[in-house]
Amino acid sequence: MKTNKLRFIVFLLMFSMVAVACGGDAAEETSEAPETTEAPQETLAAPATTAPPPEKLVIWAEEKIAVALDPLVGAYESAAGVDIEVVIYDFGAIKNDVLTAGPAGEGPDLFVGPHDMVGEVVANGVVAPIDLGSISDDIFDVGIAGFSYGGDVYGFPYATEAIAMYYNADLIGGVPSTWEDVKAACDEAGTELCVGAPGGGGGGDAYHNHPFFASDGGYIFKFDGGFDPSDVGLDNASALASAEYLDSLVKNGTVASTDYGASMTAFQEGRSLFWMTGPWARNDAAAVNYGVGLIPTFNGNPATPFVGVRGMFVSAFSEKKVLAQSFILDFFATVEVQAAMYAEDPRLPATKSLFAVVEAEDPIAAAFADSASNGIPMPNIPEMGNVWGPVGDAMLIIRDQNYGTNEDTGVTVNSASDAMKLAAQQVRDAIAGG
Amino acid sequence: MQYSTIFRYLFLGIFNGFVVYLVPLTIAFESWFLLIITTIITLLVNFTYATNRLKPLKWITPGMIFLLSFVVFPAAYSFYVSFTNWSTGHILTKQQAIERLEDLTYTKDDQRGIEFDLYVLQDQNLEYYFLADLDNENLLFGKAVEENEFNEINFANHEPSFKNPNGEILIPDNLYLLSGKEQIANSSQLQELSLLVDKNTRIQLYNISVFGASSGRLLSAQQKYSYSAETDTLYDNVNDLACTLGNRGNFICNGQTIDPGWRINVGTENYQRIVDDERFRGPLRIVTLWTFQFAFFAVFLTFFVGLLLSVSLNKDNLKFQKIYRSIYILPYAIPGFISILVFKGLFNPDFGLVNDWFSPLYELLNIEPINWFRTKESSRAAVLLVNTWLGFPYMFLITTGALQSIPKELLEAAKVDGATSRQSFWKITFPLLLVAISPLLIGAFAYNFNNFTLIFLLTSGGPPIVGADVAVGYTDILISFTYDLAIAGGRGYQFGLAASVTTIIFLIVLLISAISFRYSKRLERVYGNL
Repeated sequence: MKTNKLRFIVFLLMFSMVAVACGGDAAEETSEAPETTEAPQETLAAPATTAPPPEKLVIWAEEKIAVALDPLVGAYESAAGVDIEVVIYDFGAIKNDVLTAGPAGEGPDLFVGPHDMVGEVVANGVVAPIDLGSISDDIFDVGIAGFSYGGDVYGFPYATEAIAMYYNADLIGGVPSTWEDVKAACDEAGTELCVGAPGGGGGGDAYHNHPFFASDGGYIFKFDGGFDPSDVGLDNASALASAEYLDSLVKNGTVASTDYGASMTAFQEGRSLFWMTGPWARNDAAAVNYGVGLIPTFNGNPATPFVGVRGMFVSAFSEKKVLAQSFILDFFATVEVQAAMYAEDPRLPATKSLFAVVEAEDPIAAAFADSASNGIPMPNIPEMGNVWGPVGDAMLIIRDQNYGTNEDTGVTVNSASDAMKLAAQQVRDAIAGG
Repeated sequence: MQYSTIFRYLFLGIFNGFVVYLVPLTIAFESWFLLIITTIITLLVNFTYATNRLKPLKWITPGMIFLLSFVVFPAAYSFYVSFTNWSTGHILTKQQAIERLEDLTYTKDDQRGIEFDLYVLQDQNLEYYFLADLDNENLLFGKAVEENEFNEINFANHEPSFKNPNGEILIPDNLYLLSGKEQIANSSQLQELSLLVDKNTRIQLYNISVFGASSGRLLSAQQKYSYSAETDTLYDNVNDLACTLGNRGNFICNGQTIDPGWRINVGTENYQRIVDDERFRGPLRIVTLWTFQFAFFAVFLTFFVGLLLSVSLNKDNLKFQKIYRSIYILPYAIPGFISILVFKGLFNPDFGLVNDWFSPLYELLNIEPINWFRTKESSRAAVLLVNTWLGFPYMFLITTGALQSIPKELLEAAKVDGATSRQSFWKITFPLLLVAISPLLIGAFAYNFNNFTLIFLLTSGGPPIVGADVAVGYTDILISFTYDLAIAGGRGYQFGLAASVTTIIFLIVLLISAISFRYSKRLERVYGNL
């Protein structure tokens, strides 16, 4: 009998716990006020006092941007009565997680990402188009082009980025305009390496190598209002000639066989006169007294670096699209906020008004912007996913002079032209094969 | 009643309380799968712990639950995905894809980018009204209506009376003008509402401003696409044509595939591609061969080094034995993430320490410094070397344990019978050791078969195989190859294809384990009775 009594007590305890759990639930429900607000009953002047729970926006951004943005959103939160959560997200993980979390209902309302994912996120239906209205007049064309897909704009472009040429200011006064002069300058300065450019030394990198094949008429996809995946120009006559020219630059020691890390340490230790990379590396380059100039011309044509654009997207799965859009148009895109962002995390501005401010006070940023103005936006179509590997590998063969026949695949690459032809074929095959 | 019983019921109470909290949530979110799983687990837990009748289950149940949720479920789900075309353009369900398509609006070209002030008003009945200040001449006012109320009764009126001669907006007394903040508080409702201009055009709120005036934009009164559930067809309202249903899980309008599509079952297509497609078959052969080589050598080298150290330290008269042992465990105590990245730097051919140390050797032999990570052989050697460093302490630990459990009498008896120490090691110690640790060796093999972390962090699969049609390198093992395939194998992501490779890997590991366990059982039968 005693055991039964105890068991009864235990069951009572169990049910009380259930009740507590339910109680918590019920309490939450009652705290949720009705959605309609400010009943303007008799007096139309003042809104009623029962405020609804604030709307909430979740923003995913990579660390540097999130850290810069987080202190700024307070102003909007208090003015608009919304709750904004800025989540620090790994740069590489944003696209993956937007694609998987969005459809599952767990995604953000807004996220910051590079423009080259536009095609893919649009094809997957996870971003909503945005009407930039009058703001678009203030944005550089390359920014709008980067975020355009199928006739709509899919984000607010807020920063651009392109590589240029760092030079060791203790050894040389600027970057010569031709590669021949660059070689002569290096010989004179007597540095161990001449131009340290990422994309060699075992680390394939189509991004940094883009000017080497695309400045004089070569291209990955033909651009005509949009990128055309059926027109691959990696093996046209100009691209092959450019690749052979790069081959000669590697052979005569102008362009060193370095990956990113090696090119960086060489520049920092004064072992190379030039370093070809982007504005993100300014802190690393500061190990020496540096300046930044344009990448030398190819056959008289300005070098065309890849331009990357960062922008803010609105998720298609956001329940608050108009609010999310308003956050961008009414707050994030304003010059004041953009300037505050720049102060925290200097990236080349994508808006003309901010650029005018930056140009005056930061000549290095202006040099990068100058380089970007010659460049083309990275193709934003999903087919670009097929390009990085083959093109990076082909450029790696040239940069590392790794010619010969591969014993496993039986493919022979004896010249820079062969490498480009192989890459072009692989890209075409991959696009055809899906 | 014992304390254990009280704790048991306490735990059960908390658990059931949690379930009672969870069930309404799963119903609210229509997550039926989770509901079924929750129900099964709840019944299982309650049957097991409510009474004393099912004692053996008490220990098995938690294990079963974890096995189900962390092994069986992911494996079954990957298996399911491998039969779908889940990839870029096909990541949504059909319903989600249709919702996305129906969400799309369009603007006529001559109305694009037109922006004007939009005022949001509310009357006594909390009904919303929009007042659009199109230009100085046109001031449109009307009820803000939802999509199902798009009809002529609700067309907006031209209302110049809302403006005084100075161009200032006057709001009548019976209406309340919402501030930006108030509009934002109601934005979820407002974003569904439109002001109808005429049959073809409507006005929608698109930027709520808390710092200035909110603005609106002109849109077509119709959506870009409309879907008919009865006929399962999509209608393109812009070009005024019907779209057909494609067989890959998308709609085809005017010969063009419309994104986004949805995922469909494609049967064994992914498996057929792996087998038939020349682009995958070649690289897959190289990668599979290397995966087996890597897993075998990884186990062999770590076992060899670990056993060598444990045997040499397993002497009773050795001084500082414990200190030596602690030192050899150290590599195991450092997280792999750190040591792999450190090794990556050490092996760098240009400024890494490894080539610095070896430079006297290179000079002595008069050879070129090894280009670590840049050639097939050197990168594979580097991968194995680093793995040996990371893996030997584990083998050292388990072999030390096994050595100490071998009865000393056996070795003494062998000594008495005149066996040399070499003979007694190979005939007695080693076989007994194998009985004890062969399951662990099989486990190590399976682990290294899928040692993604090492490959990904150390070489990312490189150096690339020149001429291969998909992104693949010489140190890629099956799992890292699958990763590349899923992320960069084609037009964006290829989850379906990658899942089919994963399923194949799973079957291979399963097969190897089954065979090895049978073999080790035989070992046990032979040596177990010694």
